[in-house]
Amino acid sequence: MSAKPLVRFTDVSKSYDGKTDAVRTLNLDVQTGEFLTLLGPSGSGKTTTLTMLAGFEQPTSGRIFVSDEDVTTVPVDKRGIGMVFQNYALFPNMTVGENIGFPLRVRGLARAAIGEKVARALAMVRLEGLADRRPQQLSGGQQQRVAVARALVFEPRLVLLDEPLGALDRQLREQMQYELKQLHRRLDVTMVYVTHDQVEAMTMSDRVAVFSTGLLRQVAEPRRLYEEPESLFVAQFLGESNALAATIAQRDGAQCKAVLPTGETIVAAAVGTCAAGGEADLVLRPEKVALGAAALGCTNRFPARVVEATFLGDQLRVRLMTLGREDFVIKLPNAAGQGAIEPGSAVEIGWRAEDCRALAR
Amino acid sequence: MKTLQISGTMAALAWAVLSLLALPAFIVIPVSFTDTRYLSLPEEGLSLQHWRTFLTSREWLSSIWQSLWIATVSTAMAVVAGTLCAVGCWRLSSRISEHVRTAMILPLAVPTIVYALGIYRLYVQLDLVGTALGVVLAHAVTGLPYVVLTVSGSLSNLDPRLEQAARGLGASVGQTLRWVIVPNIMPGVLSGAIFAFIHSWDELIVVIFIGGRALFTLPRRMWDGINDNLDPVIAVVATGMILFTLLILTAELSLGARRTESTPAA
Amino acid sequence: MLSLAERRPTGRTAYWLIMLPAVAMLLLIYLVPLADVLLTSVTDPKPGFGNYAMLFTSSSVQRALLTTLRIAAITTAVALLLGYLVAYAMRAASSRTQRFMLFCVLLPFWISVLVRSFAWLTLLRGSGPVNNALMAMGLIDEPLALVRNETGVLIGMIHVMLPYAILTLYANMRGIDIGLVAAARSLGASRLQAFRMVFLPLTRPGLIGAGTLVFILSLGFYVTPALLGGGKVLMIAEYVAVQINDTLRWGLGTMLATTLMIAVLGALWALSRVVDVKRLFGA
Repeated sequence: MSAKPLVRFTDVSKSYDGKTDAVRTLNLDVQTGEFLTLLGPSGSGKTTTLTMLAGFEQPTSGRIFVSDEDVTTVPVDKRGIGMVFQNYALFPNMTVGENIGFPLRVRGLARAAIGEKVARALAMVRLEGLADRRPQQLSGGQQQRVAVARALVFEPRLVLLDEPLGALDRQLREQMQYELKQLHRRLDVTMVYVTHDQVEAMTMSDRVAVFSTGLLRQVAEPRRLYEEPESLFVAQFLGESNALAATIAQRDGAQCKAVLPTGETIVAAAVGTCAAGGEADLVLRPEKVALGAAALGCTNRFPARVVEATFLGDQLRVRLMTLGREDFVIKLPNAAGQGAIEPGSAVEIGWRAEDCRALAR
Repeated sequence: MKTLQISGTMAALAWAVLSLLALPAFIVIPVSFTDTRYLSLPEEGLSLQHWRTFLTSREWLSSIWQSLWIATVSTAMAVVAGTLCAVGCWRLSSRISEHVRTAMILPLAVPTIVYALGIYRLYVQLDLVGTALGVVLAHAVTGLPYVVLTVSGSLSNLDPRLEQAARGLGASVGQTLRWVIVPNIMPGVLSGAIFAFIHSWDELIVVIFIGGRALFTLPRRMWDGINDNLDPVIAVVATGMILFTLLILTAELSLGARRTESTPAA
Repeated sequence: MLSLAERRPTGRTAYWLIMLPAVAMLLLIYLVPLADVLLTSVTDPKPGFGNYAMLFTSSSVQRALLTTLRIAAITTAVALLLGYLVAYAMRAASSRTQRFMLFCVLLPFWISVLVRSFAWLTLLRGSGPVNNALMAMGLIDEPLALVRNETGVLIGMIHVMLPYAILTLYANMRGIDIGLVAAARSLGASRLQAFRMVFLPLTRPGLIGAGTLVFILSLGFYVTPALLGGGKVLMIAEYVAVQINDTLRWGLGTMLATTLMIAVLGALWALSRVVDVKRLFGA
C-alpha cells in the first residue's frame, strides 16, 4: 500500500432535505490498491458516500479528491470509475458482450479493440462463450459476473460495488466473495465495497469503515475493528458484545477501575477520553470470558448462575445471571473434557482486564 | 440516482404541450358568456343572453332530456349484460370464454363509421330508424366494452376461491353472484357504468345515421348547429357538456381513490 | 329423488348462461350489422369485387385514401414526438407532479371529441382569439388560415390523439428501471449516449404500440376532419358518409368501410403479435 491515498473525502456532508444529514463531516482516505468496505445498517450513510464518490450525488459541503484531483463537481461519466450495482443493472436490450463492451463503445474505441477486450473480460470472469446471450437468460451468479466484467473492462483505477451480492443465495454469495477477492488481488485495482453484512465485510476487506446515522464511526483492519472497537456501536454491530454501563472510579494510564450500578468494581482497558468520574460502557466479547477453573487467574472474577445453555456444535452459548442482569452471554469452545452446564447451577466467571474495554459515553 | 434527468428546456416544452392539451377546450366557457351575437370572446362585458336562449329553447331542452334518458337506459343494459358476461368469462376462463371477452372489445376497435353503416341498414329493415329504442340498443352494445374491461379488471384482483367457497357452502350461482361476487367488484361495475354513460352521452356518429328525423340527442343537435350557423349558444352547450363530464369524472376519481384505499396492501 | 342442486344448472352451465345476454346483444346488434356491411360491399350494385376494383381505378377514392394515410401518418409522427417528450417529463417528475400531469392528460381525454373540435374551431377561426391575438401583437397582418383546411384537421387530430400516445408511452416508461440509465452514465456514457443507447431502445415497444394505436385510430376519424376541414379535407370516414347520405352509393361506401375495418383490425392483430398489448397499457 502506498502512502498516498487514491481517494480523499474532506469534511464531506450531504443533506437531501436541508434538515438532516445523510452523511455528516466525513473525512476518509481510500489507499491505492486496497479493498475498503463501507459497512453499516440501512440509512447509515454508506450508500450515500458511495453515490457521491461515483458522482450521482454532489456533497452539500466538503470536497472529494481522486488522485489529488478535485472531482467534487465532475459529472458521473467523466470520473472513470467502474461501478457494480445492487441489481446488476445489465441492459436488457443488449447481449452480454454488448453490455461488457458498453463502456468501451461510449469511449469511442474501435470495434476490433472492443471485441478483444470484451473477450478477455469474459474469460476473466469465466463466462467464455456466453457473449451472445441476453442477460435475462443468465443465472443470478452469471449476471453478477457480467456486471463485474463490465465495471472492470475499461481498466478503471477505482471500482465501486454497491451491495453486489445481496440478491444471491448464501452458497453462491460465498463463492462470489472469493472470486471478487481473487480479482482484486490479480488486477491490483482499488475497490470500495458497500454492504450491511458484517461477515462479508470481515472476510473480504483490507479495511472496514463502519457507518451509523450518517457518521463514520471507525475505520480499521477487520481484526483491529473487532478486537479494539472505539464505540459501543461498533462493538455491537460487529459480532456480539456484553455491554455494561458503569462509572469510572479511577484511571491509571491504559487501565481504569469502573463501578457498576450494582456496586461491583471491574478493571478494564481505558479507551480514548475515559476519565475518572465519567460515564462509560464496558464492552466484553462473550468468547473472552472464562468459566470455572479457567477463570481463576483473571483480574475480574464474579459469581454467576446459568440461565440457559445452547449447544451450537462448535461452541456452547451460555446465558448467565450475573452483575445485576440476566442476559450476560458467554461462548465456550466445544473442547475435549468440557462438562455439561446445567441451567440453575452456580458458576464462577472471569476475564482479563485488557479484554474488557471501557468506552467513554 | 433513482430519478430520470431532464433538461430545463425539455421540461418547459413538455409543460407547454400539456397546457396546449388541457386548456383549449375551456375556451368555450368565456365564449358562452359573450355579449356579441357571434362566436367570440366577450368584448364589452359578460352576458347571460345565450345561456338564457339555451335554457328557454324547447329544442335544446328536449335534446338534453333525450340524451339523458337514452344514456341512462343504454348504460343500465350495458352494465347488467357486461358485468354478467365478465363474471362468466372470469369463472370459466376457458379458450372460448377468452375469445368471447376479446369479441366484447370489438366495438372499441372497429371504426364507428363502419358500425354506423351496418346498424343503419339493419334498422331500415326493422323499422327502428328514428326510434329511441334503436339508439338505446346501439349505445348499449357499443358501451359493453367499457363495462367488460373495468369489471374484468376488478375481477382479476378477486380470489377465485371466494366463488368456490360460496358454492361449497351451498349458495346457488345467483346467490353467489348477488352476495359474494358483485359486492366485491362494485367499484369496477360503477366505473364501467360511468364510462358507458359518458360514451352514450357523447356519441354522435351512430346517432347521425340512425336518428332519423325525430331523434336529436345533444351531440347531434350541436353537430347540426355547428354545420348550420356558428351560434354562441353552441358554446353554451359545449360548456354544459364539459361541466357535466367533469362532474361524472370527479365521481369516478373519488371512486378510484376509495378503491385504492380499500385494496389491502399486496 | 333428485337433490335441489342437481335440478339447477350445474356451475359451469350457469356461468355460460349468464354470458348469454351480452353475447346475444353483440351478435344481433353488432356482428350482424358488420356482416351486412361486408356482404353489401360484394353484392351492391351487383355481386362480385367490382367495388374493390375502385380502390385501384377511382381517382376520388384514391385521393380520399391518400389524404387519410397522409393525415394519419403526420398525426402519428407529431403525436409520438410530443407524446414522448411529455411521457419522459412525467417519468422524470416527482410522483406528485406526475399525478398532476396525468390529470392534465386525462382531462381532455374525457371531454367529447365534438366539443373539443368545436373549441378548436372557435379558437382558430379567421376572427378567432388566436388570429386576433397574433394580429394585435403585430406578428401578422391578415388572419392565418388555420381551420377549414388540412392544418386545422391536423391540429384537432393531434390534440385528440396525443393522450393515447402519452398514456401508452408513459405506461411503457414506468416499467423501465431508471437505474439502468444511471448505470450507463457511471460507465462513461454522456447524457445523450445513455438516452440513445439505453433508454430509447427500451422504449421501443412503447413507441411501436403508441404509433400503431394512434395511426389506426386516426384512420377512422370522422368528426374532427369534418368540422375542422370544412368539407375540404375528405378522409375515408367522411367520404363514406358522403357516399351514403348524398349519393346513396352503398356498394362504394360499404367497400371503403370494410377496407377500413380490415386495415384497423389487421394492424391491431399484427401489433398483438409484436408486443403484449395488455402490458403495454399497464393492465
